[in-house]
Amino acid sequence: MNVSYRQADEDMLVKASLKGDTTAFGEIVNRYRRLVARTVKGMLGDTVFAEDIGQEVFVKLYYSLPEFRGEARLSTYIQKIAVNLTLNEIKRRKRMFSLFLSKGNNEMYEYEIPDEESSDKREAKELVNKALMQLDPKFRIVVVMRMLQGYSTKETAEILKLPLGTVLSRLSRAQEQLKEILQKL
Amino acid sequence: MNPTEIKKLILKSQKNDCDTKEIARQLEAKGVSFDFSKDFNNKILSRLSDRTVSMIPESDFTRTLNTVFYRIAITGIAAIVFLMISIYLMEGSVSINSLLGMGNLYDESVLCLLTGI
Repeated sequence: MNVSYRQADEDMLVKASLKGDTTAFGEIVNRYRRLVARTVKGMLGDTVFAEDIGQEVFVKLYYSLPEFRGEARLSTYIQKIAVNLTLNEIKRRKRMFSLFLSKGNNEMYEYEIPDEESSDKREAKELVNKALMQLDPKFRIVVVMRMLQGYSTKETAEILKLPLGTVLSRLSRAQEQLKEILQKL
Repeated sequence: MNPTEIKKLILKSQKNDCDTKEIARQLEAKGVSFDFSKDFNNKILSRLSDRTVSMIPESDFTRTLNTVFYRIAITGIAAIVFLMISIYLMEGSVSINSLLGMGNLYDESVLCLLTGI
């Protein structure tokens, strides 16, 4: 990785990436990979398959950079791509599974938490993963945005392109569902 | 790890007036963090440099069709093999006549059937 890009601001990285400088784009990936991972893995589980969607997010970002006008922050722009691709993937998988299986929603996903993490961290992550996967995707995305990304209700509404009232009602429903789910875990 | 503490944080994060950034930070400190594999960056960069990525995103319908096609194709092949084996067992061969169910028919019988004489 080119050292000169480590201190570069977003604007410079975007401009260099637009000129085809993949090193600059590599720096963008490096800065935002964890942000994307929280959304994608939070929604789809910690799986290899989530890794593919993560790659898709950045590939799509690379090709849609000419449309990025800098009105919003780059992180918000990336987050929107991640949310769209993840929700599309959930819909696609749901359709596919409904054709062949009559299993519950949460059985569509596998948990592959890396071995190198300590058992305490693994357990914490597994608990959060299990709780999230039992939520309906439309509630799960709101929970992920707030709990894992730390977004406010307003920011969540903006990223999900939903009215504030809808986000608030989903929050309240998610909380009810989570209470029931967490009691069983 | 204290599961009760994690559960409390999860529920707290859903309250409208809570400090979500602080909760996200606390959860991360307790191990609820996500990242991709070590070679994630390289995979993306090689995909971009190889130009293997289609500029036109594959439609949702096409992706579903591709996945469904393989399953249908495998099921279809299995059905054909099963049919061939059962024909072979019943007729003793897999000739065209056997496939058409005419393995044991004589020409005279066919004439009889067609002309009614």
